Amino acid sequence: MAEEFEPKIMAFICKWCTSAGADLAGVSRLEYPSNVIPIQVMCSGSVSPLYVFSALSQGADGVLVSGCHPGDCHYMKGNYYARRRLALVKKLLEYIGLEPERFQMSWVSATEGVKFTQIIKDLVKELQPLGPQTKLRRN
Amino acid sequence: MVSEDKLREEVKKLLQEGKIKYFIGYENGGPGWLARPAFIQQPEAVSRLIWSPGCVHNLTRFLQDEKRRRAREKNPDLRPVGLIVKGCDSRAINVLLQEKYIERKDVYLIGVSCELLGVVDEAKITRRLYPAKPLQVRFGAKETILVLTDQGEREIAASEVLADRCLECPANFPLVADIVLGEKINRPNPQPYQSIASFEAKSLEERWAFWQEQFSRCLRCYACRSVCPMCYCDECVADSIVYAVSADTTAEEKAQKVKWVERNPEPQENIFYHLVRAIHLAGRCVDCGECERVCPVGLPLRLLNKKLEKEAKALFGYEVGLDANSPPLISCFRDNDPQDFIR
Amino acid sequence: MKVFFPKKEAFGWTLTEAAADGAIPSDYSYAVVPPKKLIFPQEEIFFEFQQTADEGLQLRETLPELPPQVIVGVRPCDGRAVAALDQVFSGSFEDPYYWRRRRATILVGLACNTPPSNNCFCSSLEGSPSSEEGLDVLLTDLGDRYYVRGLTEKGKELIRAQSSLFSDPTEEEKKLRNKISQEGAQKIKRHLEAARELPPKLKTMFDSPFWEEAALSCIRCGICTYLCPTCHCFDINDETRALAPLKGRRVRTWDTCQFPDFTMHSSGHNPRPNKAARLRQRLLHKFLYFVELYDRFQCVGCGRCLDLCPVGIDIIEVLSKARNHGA
Repeated sequence: MAEEFEPKIMAFICKWCTSAGADLAGVSRLEYPSNVIPIQVMCSGSVSPLYVFSALSQGADGVLVSGCHPGDCHYMKGNYYARRRLALVKKLLEYIGLEPERFQMSWVSATEGVKFTQIIKDLVKELQPLGPQTKLRRN
Repeated sequence: MVSEDKLREEVKKLLQEGKIKYFIGYENGGPGWLARPAFIQQPEAVSRLIWSPGCVHNLTRFLQDEKRRRAREKNPDLRPVGLIVKGCDSRAINVLLQEKYIERKDVYLIGVSCELLGVVDEAKITRRLYPAKPLQVRFGAKETILVLTDQGEREIAASEVLADRCLECPANFPLVADIVLGEKINRPNPQPYQSIASFEAKSLEERWAFWQEQFSRCLRCYACRSVCPMCYCDECVADSIVYAVSADTTAEEKAQKVKWVERNPEPQENIFYHLVRAIHLAGRCVDCGECERVCPVGLPLRLLNKKLEKEAKALFGYEVGLDANSPPLISCFRDNDPQDFIR
Repeated sequence: MKVFFPKKEAFGWTLTEAAADGAIPSDYSYAVVPPKKLIFPQEEIFFEFQQTADEGLQLRETLPELPPQVIVGVRPCDGRAVAALDQVFSGSFEDPYYWRRRRATILVGLACNTPPSNNCFCSSLEGSPSSEEGLDVLLTDLGDRYYVRGLTEKGKELIRAQSSLFSDPTEEEKKLRNKISQEGAQKIKRHLEAARELPPKLKTMFDSPFWEEAALSCIRCGICTYLCPTCHCFDINDETRALAPLKGRRVRTWDTCQFPDFTMHSSGHNPRPNKAARLRQRLLHKFLYFVELYDRFQCVGCGRCLDLCPVGIDIIEVLSKARNHGA
């Protein structure tokens, strides 16, 4: 029986919304794939493009950045900056030939435990057929 | 036509009156060099100054040196530095002003208009004239370039040898300057992003194969970063060649420095460096083309930076270097910034 | 056996692994990245380390094991440059990484019928367009055939192995070859006069303000040093891939005295804190210190630093001015 490829997903999740949403999923005993390695950041706006590139360089098969919905940011504006900055990162990565599924963003609020699990499930499904990420992974 | 004599006259006056500390312009280079930066301190030395289609360098880069010099000196001379700026260079000044890296009073700008021409691409000229070797270039009448070669003088159509960026330039006239030499003639510019259009049309895997091959050549000489006026960080976050440490830096601070990129020139490390540089230049790169010109192994860096310039315009309506008073691209946002890519 | 042959790219020539299919193109000038890259590569892995549960920290040596490599189209200046590198990496310690690659390498040189660059000045530095030093074979292009000289045992063996391809040269051919060599030297346009006067003069100029002026337009990139066929400074770094268990490798990479932190001490003190000091270092190393150590210049006059410097710093001009400074 062939072993199915399990993508490793680095998720930079903001402490106030998405992380709380992920906790809610846990507390509600909602099941979702264990492929995701969560890293809690204070705000999606604090996610530097360097984190995304570094995750890919160190072998992540996919990177997710998730924060509060626009208007709900704990720091008022952080997610607006993230939206702008990471839009450019996404365009750049796709331009050099990285599959667009490998870097994604989401808005997940503290009450959206179900949404969080759905995003992870969808992400794993999208990344499985792509196989391991070798383009940016360092030797 | 920009008058070289008028240029020299202006600079001489500024130096004699002590209005500027020194002047950065262009002079003739050695054999095989069309022009090179010149630092003029004495009024008599203005005869060295030239203005020709070989004046490709973005002299705003040397404002970094001036700033570092001032930081080191106890009682720095605070008079402005004089320099020549073409249209592209003047947009670089705007970006530096936007970011408060320099103040307007730190520079005295002599703007030159490219009129309908621009500067030449040395590789294009060399290929065009082979086997004759180009030695010097001058502006000809009627959109031609006069080239002095080792086999006599030639006259060629400017469109054949102008730098690609000049052919796509939206601002061939200085946007900020104290005086301007030459006429303001708007160049018709129907397709500003022509260089990247055909590249964007390629498939994902074709694009990857291209970049993978390109980045395997990178030597990490950092000429691209060193020549860029916008790469003025004292310590670059991607592989610094200048560590900002002093006697007061603690051991903890030194131990906690993150090494984002390794020194080795494997393609993945090279890509990391170039990606970081490209993203840090988003909304700041004015397409002066210097990074691509200086690269000894011909990396198509404009292809990378121009893409983000295009996205800045397409996604956020942002144009680089037009207004020194507007906020930088990533320190502002609009309520309706696109978010169709966000789940 | 690998063969490296001149290949034309958009930005210039390279020595690329490829089958040699015909003569070296007549418009070949010089390889932008010199042959040193194939003998002293930009990345050399010294060893790999791995922490294991039962045996502790394991080191695995990664000395290069390579098939013989023939580099075709090496200009005589680059051959002399390799000879200079040979001196650096021998002496009291023979660098095993360098010498494994060096011994596996056969350098087939191509004499310069015309100077490959506007800025060649090999003849000013005890070289010539038909110099044989450092090479194993020297080819001279006679127009429709090559005049071939086997110089070392390795080079002669290469010729013997394919002897049917060669014939003894005629008197005519010998005369033509000599004529081409002489004319090649005469065609060199740039000269650094009285180079041997430089070392004692430079020795007096360490504290001179001359270097400030000369370095004004330097942007402190690494082009002059990385593309120089004799420059050999390097950096060694441990690259960690995993922390627990510890895994990684020790890598040597090129380094350059032109980067500000090349001489940065961990205290924050930098004995070469500005461009003037670093430009002085590069020139003194090549034209004074190396002469004192090995009685030869560390510059072979290839012209790359001149051709490729982003701001047109002209080493011949700077040294000529230095020689006449204060006179």
